[in-house]
Amino acid sequence: MNARQATARTAPDARGGAIPTHARDNAAGPSAAVPPTIEVRGLSKTYRSKREGTVLALDDISFTVEEGEFVCIVGPSGCGKSTLLKILAGIVAHSVGTVAVRGKPPSDAQNRLGLVFQAPVLLPWRTVLQNTLLPAQVLGLDPKAAEARAHDLLRMVGLEQFASSYPNELSGGMQQRCSITRALLHDPSILLMDEPFGALDAMTRDTMNLELQRIWRESGKTIFLITHSIPEAVFLADRVLVMSARPGRIVEEIKVDLPRPRDLDTMSEPAFAEAVRHIRGLFGIGGKERPHVD
Amino acid sequence: MSTDVKASADTPPPADTLPARAPFSIAGLIDRHLGVLSFIILMLALEFGLRYFRVPDYVLPPPSQIFTALVRGFAPPFLSPSQYYVNIATTLTEALLSFVLGSAFGIFAGAMVVEFKGVRRLALPYVIGLQSVPKVALAPLFVVWFGFGIESKVLLGVLLTFFPLLINTAAGLSSVERDRIELMASLKAKRWTTFRMVKFPSALPYVFAGLEMAAVYSILGAVVGEFVGGNSGLGVLILSRNAALDIAGSLAALVILAVMGIALQRAVAFARGRLLFWAPVHDRLDADS
Ligand SMILES: Nc1ncnc2c1ncn2[C@@H]1O[C@H](COP(=O)(O)OP(=O)(O)OP(=O)(O)O)[C@@H](O)[C@H]1O
Ligand SMILES: [Mg+2]
Repeated sequence: MNARQATARTAPDARGGAIPTHARDNAAGPSAAVPPTIEVRGLSKTYRSKREGTVLALDDISFTVEEGEFVCIVGPSGCGKSTLLKILAGIVAHSVGTVAVRGKPPSDAQNRLGLVFQAPVLLPWRTVLQNTLLPAQVLGLDPKAAEARAHDLLRMVGLEQFASSYPNELSGGMQQRCSITRALLHDPSILLMDEPFGALDAMTRDTMNLELQRIWRESGKTIFLITHSIPEAVFLADRVLVMSARPGRIVEEIKVDLPRPRDLDTMSEPAFAEAVRHIRGLFGIGGKERPHVD
Repeated sequence: MSTDVKASADTPPPADTLPARAPFSIAGLIDRHLGVLSFIILMLALEFGLRYFRVPDYVLPPPSQIFTALVRGFAPPFLSPSQYYVNIATTLTEALLSFVLGSAFGIFAGAMVVEFKGVRRLALPYVIGLQSVPKVALAPLFVVWFGFGIESKVLLGVLLTFFPLLINTAAGLSSVERDRIELMASLKAKRWTTFRMVKFPSALPYVFAGLEMAAVYSILGAVVGEFVGGNSGLGVLILSRNAALDIAGSLAALVILAVMGIALQRAVAFARGRLLFWAPVHDRLDADS
């Protein structure tokens, strides 16, 4: 047990990382110009529902996410953020336009990305540890290595004492943290996160933001994260995409040039406050619905 | 709909509420043994009431006679066809075989109907048609086709248990939370993997509701089959006691059937408690036991 954990944590780097990651495992071949990891062109999505007829959820969306980039998306409730994420994950079909993840359709079997849902979506008959291990079983990874990694991840999010608890014994925030360990277990090179920290208290949220930044810097993952919190988006992202109320359109892209690694002091810098103010302004003018802002 | 599910996933579980141990009191004692107590009172009332009003034994014998009949039925010679042992063995075999086979086929068919559109289109009209037939009406035909042995009874029992499992399994598999399936889709899980790891376990509460019905129907199938034509079994015993106007003997066999039914249901409930410890229990009447 101890020996296994020790081997799993052999190379703690200068930042003291405990979670081993194999960076860019699925990176495209040796071509000089790396194509965008996510490429979306003219995407629209229409839902057909019996009561309301057709609902235009996303309207003519275009953007790219480069490999290793951290992109956050903010927008009013109901503007189609979760829909967009599910299209990228290949679990909802889009209506118009093209979507490519590593040059392939999102539903391609090679695109085994990490997905954090807006709700925890834990399986109630599995313990926290077994829930975390789900991707290892689905993808047929080595069970011993996966279990060691799961324990490391659970320690990172502060759930190690709850490894053998069942989800209905946990608070909403603890369940959500478990869903994050599950998304990270198979070390996916693309991470899609739908308001992952929405259910957490402010202090845990800060810690999780710092952890996420660390994981991202160490592993070179491409992260696409939805949030309701404009400061969180600015803190985490290289680039923030701002969406309008339904039908969702991308109103503006804001590049965030704050130096890395960012820490809690970053939030008191003038450039940070300026970026937050700018995005808030966009909602004040453009959006019919004001987003929840904390 | 999905918001409901999410909300319930977030609400903390009800804490294990320990019933406050009341200090010893007559009222507490009565409360705890209410079932047994009311049974004893009912039996005594019947016993004296039937005797007092001189109700003839061939209409309704008092409980003491049923009890005597029970004791006599369990006495030697053990292997005589008029004693309980052989008949219990026959009926129990028929019921258990019906339960296991009918449930297995029902679960399998329910899964096929939900998972494969072709199967659904092909089989659903027949399923709906057959379901509306009162299946016990087929018992005489089964006896003609399969004889007086246990085959005709098992077949009737299978037919009776098949439908509740088909319908419940199909309902359970159709109502799996979409998020759970999407989770597996995001991992590009194979269809069978999703079925095995997420869909079937999610449907288990429904499957168990079906199994609880099947436990009752399997015994019903066996007894009705024996009524229509059989050589052995508690149904046969009831008919022969009736013909001899031995109502106490007939009712004693009925008591054994009731005990068998309760035992089978308890076995299902036990398995359910083991497998479905994670499912809410609010729909169970006997949740406190
Ligand atoms: N399965 C569905 N069928 C029909 N309409 C849907 C479906 N899913 C979402 N919608 C509609 O699409 C729109 C966008 O929904 P979506 O969940 O993507 O919003 P969101 O931006 O994630 O909102 P929030 O911030 O509140 O999570 C909503 O108006 C919703 O009613
Ligand atoms: Mg959403």
